[in-house]
Amino acid sequence: MAEYKLLTKDFGTERLQTLSVYESTGGYQGLREAFKKFTPESLVNEVKTSGIRGRGGAGFPTGTKWSFLPKDVFPRYLCCNADESEPGCFKDRYLIDESPHQLIEGVLIASYAIQCNTAFIYIRGEYHDQRLLLERAVEETRSAGYIGKNIAGSGFDCEIIVHGGAGAYICGEETALIDSLEGLRGQPRLKPPFPAIKGLYGQPTVVNNVETLCNLPHIVQRGGEWFKSLGTERSTGTRVFCCSGHINRPGNYEMQLGTQIRELLEEECGGMWRDRSLKAFQPGGGSMQVLLPEHLDLPLDMDAVAKAGSSLGAGAMVFMDETTCLVDVSMRLVDFYQHESCGKCVPCREGTYFESQLMHRLERGEASTSELATLAGICANMDGRCFCPLGDTATWFVMSAYKHFREEFEAHCGAGECPVKARSVAMVA
Amino acid sequence: MAADGSALEQPDDGRVGVSIDGRDARFPKGMLVLDAATELGIHIPIYCAHPKMDPVAVCRMCLVNIEKFPKPQPACATVVAEGMVVRTETAEVTELREGMLEFLLLNHPLDCPVCDRGGECDLQDFTFRYGPGVSRFPITEKVHFNKAVPLSQHIELDQERCILCWRCVRYYDEITGEKEIVLQQRGVQTLVATFNDQELQSAFQGNLPEICPVGALTHREYRFVSRPWDLQRAAGVCPECSYGCNINVDSRDFEVKRFASRDNPLVDDSWLCDRGRYSFPVWNSAERVRRAAVQPRGGESRDVSVDDAVAAAAAELRGVIDEHSGEAVAVLGSAQSTNEECWLLERLARTVIHTPHIDHQLEAFADLTAGEHELGIAEIEECDTLVVLGPQPEIEAPVLTLRLYKAEQKRGARVLRLDADTAPARVAAAVGTAQRVGLIADETNRAHAARVAPALAGKRSVRMLTITRGVNGRGAKDLGVLPNLGAGYQSAPASGKSGREILEAAAEGSIRALLLLGPNPALEAAGELLERALRKLSVVVAIDTRPGAASRAATVLIPGHALLEKAGSVTNVEGRVQRIRTALPPATSAPPETRVLSALAGKLGAKGWERGDVLTVNRAMRDAIPAYAAAGNGGRAVWAAEAPA
Repeated sequence: MAEYKLLTKDFGTERLQTLSVYESTGGYQGLREAFKKFTPESLVNEVKTSGIRGRGGAGFPTGTKWSFLPKDVFPRYLCCNADESEPGCFKDRYLIDESPHQLIEGVLIASYAIQCNTAFIYIRGEYHDQRLLLERAVEETRSAGYIGKNIAGSGFDCEIIVHGGAGAYICGEETALIDSLEGLRGQPRLKPPFPAIKGLYGQPTVVNNVETLCNLPHIVQRGGEWFKSLGTERSTGTRVFCCSGHINRPGNYEMQLGTQIRELLEEECGGMWRDRSLKAFQPGGGSMQVLLPEHLDLPLDMDAVAKAGSSLGAGAMVFMDETTCLVDVSMRLVDFYQHESCGKCVPCREGTYFESQLMHRLERGEASTSELATLAGICANMDGRCFCPLGDTATWFVMSAYKHFREEFEAHCGAGECPVKARSVAMVA
Repeated sequence: MAADGSALEQPDDGRVGVSIDGRDARFPKGMLVLDAATELGIHIPIYCAHPKMDPVAVCRMCLVNIEKFPKPQPACATVVAEGMVVRTETAEVTELREGMLEFLLLNHPLDCPVCDRGGECDLQDFTFRYGPGVSRFPITEKVHFNKAVPLSQHIELDQERCILCWRCVRYYDEITGEKEIVLQQRGVQTLVATFNDQELQSAFQGNLPEICPVGALTHREYRFVSRPWDLQRAAGVCPECSYGCNINVDSRDFEVKRFASRDNPLVDDSWLCDRGRYSFPVWNSAERVRRAAVQPRGGESRDVSVDDAVAAAAAELRGVIDEHSGEAVAVLGSAQSTNEECWLLERLARTVIHTPHIDHQLEAFADLTAGEHELGIAEIEECDTLVVLGPQPEIEAPVLTLRLYKAEQKRGARVLRLDADTAPARVAAAVGTAQRVGLIADETNRAHAARVAPALAGKRSVRMLTITRGVNGRGAKDLGVLPNLGAGYQSAPASGKSGREILEAAAEGSIRALLLLGPNPALEAAGELLERALRKLSVVVAIDTRPGAASRAATVLIPGHALLEKAGSVTNVEGRVQRIRTALPPATSAPPETRVLSALAGKLGAKGWERGDVLTVNRAMRDAIPAYAAAGNGGRAVWAAEAPA
């Protein structure tokens, strides 16, 4: 089984970014059918039937999320989370770049399902070109009558506002995204109340990932039952995997869920580069735990990967070859979290700093063995005790690397330099 | 319930059963675990939570184990639920508290020896009580920020000491609504600063160092002044206005070093205004009347003992009474005097000297009734609409602003700030269909407010609050230090002259003797009239604290005790009778005013005035005035027989 193209089927079609070409490939048929075939309630049920789970990282069933909105409380808001910031993730950018209208159609379908008349696309600051592309597409769509009053004669009104973030990782967390959208300092909010009850401007709000929304036109057109036939029982449909690292063909690959990871690596990514062997890989993005070559036989299934101690997360796949120093990788990821910690809660703010300082000492070979215990201690004090998942996940990769590559960590202690790097240089030379 | 009575279902009393550390108790629904634990006497350390603000759950110090939750939960943001089992003494909780403190101290400068907060710092205290003792951080260099940044003339910020609990930011968001302090940067570089680096403008800045759990925000006036354990603390009432904010007077070496708030949810809600808080230096003034003196007109002034001065005063007053009548004598009290003094002075005037001419201020208050302070401070929150006539009420009593903001923000009330002279019909139009209206005025427009109130009347309730002047302006009125009313707003047997009329009568000669109980700043406002009156009077008996017009013109001068040197009670703007305690030793060896007034009455031939100590006077006052007996210490005086409004 090779790539299964559902979202990316028409990608590469010339000028797919324009409304006319998008429509010629069947675009906006999903939206028209949604109005024709479904009431908002039945559409929510259809999405529940499809079994689609959020593609942003947590994997929460989308239809269920929608059904949490309190009845009769209006206005409601939809926020499309395009703040893709997870290290190793670049699928949302790809989806927007190749077909902005597919996302807009998805946003409109979701808005119809949850009866929201104002939807926001919150896009990260660094995605400047993609923001302009989306803004242009929104304008085009509006003049074609798909955005605004009485869309396609359905009686449904919806506005879409594209809002650029300022480049903070934390703003991908749904409540921080909402704060940022409101013009506040982007920091996570205390939950409960959850956004479904009290979100943007104090109103019921749904936050969905770009890829999740891009699936909706297809679910509407081909039915929830059909969608469910793709993938595995609890991980339905396809996902776009962002493959990077020491592989021959890095890039985005849309795979049916349930396919073996090995297939993704060997067939799509062309295997490890320079005939080197795989040392470790990280599914899901910078937050997720490291996996070993033995895990290549796992299916691309959220539950199976979770069972192995990691997560499919936001769909990144970072493959590392034998020259990689896991202490170095840990250090870089910890630095990322230290830099991106919003500073709201103590364990994340101070813990990531502590962690980063220790990792730098370790990588330089200056740390003593007792500092490894300290590292484990502070990570234990962060995981599960922070205000939001950022602080928790800042410990996951480093702790899993420490578990699987303990000797490598210990070899760094008092070595005066990075022993792996020294060895690798010799090997490559 | 089953017929056999076996059903043990709890009746829904709005409470839920919770177990904390093995102790079972029932708490109201919606209560936070943190507050429930506090009620049981179980201490949960916390930095970010503040009893007057909404939870943020950022410091993570209060994480506790709750059964059925895999992860520890913040006690400050978790509400109690039926059957909840909370544990605060598990190994996990102990270990995480150590961990959080280790984190907090990573970049804290640990400059406790030079920190004003040392000794009353939550970071110090919790570190000693729950901390790990040592840090495992292998690097001695810390992240540095600016120290001693002046934010205004009152407040200094040390960004390094800050533990980012958000209290100051939330204070400005939730309590004053002024949003002057913001967070900048992120991660470990996060710091608090003023918006746009502007100087703080708020009239309530002095609360910042009190809500700050560490030494990040400090009073510039208190910088390097004292350690808390070297301070003497006395409970008192802020002397600056009539609002009656509860304070602690902290003194050292017989000098006041600061006023600190003392939470009374019914009055100040734990907030002080800067005018009150930073007014303390006046109480350290060395300019005082210290010795009793007899200063005959045209004769030489000589110092005498207080006993001799009292005897001389009695003789002089007796001379005028005998030669003319009691009505040739006038008595002027003060809004700075305690209730006990006011009560004695009123009786001295009306039953011993037999003069109707008694007042405590210059201008007469026509048609004064107890209805003017029907609306209690805390009851402001019960109103759906509040009308504030003019800016003066909030200028007189600034903390009122915070209560109005709370009513707006937390209770959804409407606050209408109208011009002081807005026509009654226009006020009624602005109020619309509101059901519970509060009408707030001050002394200068109380008469106008009295015309507005009937225009609002109808099916709704309209309650008034007049912001009086002087710390005990209300008490002086309650106790009849007024020309037209006796104690409890009862008509006086004979109508006397107001303060200004007394001075005018003295200046033209029909009033010949004056008994003054000072200090009375209101009197000084009479300026030249006061000087003229004092010159013309043949007898001036002045009991005063400060050298001034009265002490210079006195034929008999007796030193008084300043308010902070006295014990007794004062009554605030809403009629709340509150105790004050001696905070400073008196600057004079003269006995307190209650004794001097009692001795004077005795010398004038009155019986039953032998004991003039505050306790005896207070008991006698309460026996005589049931509303004050019922109010006790801290309650509001309610006047049964009230004249119609």
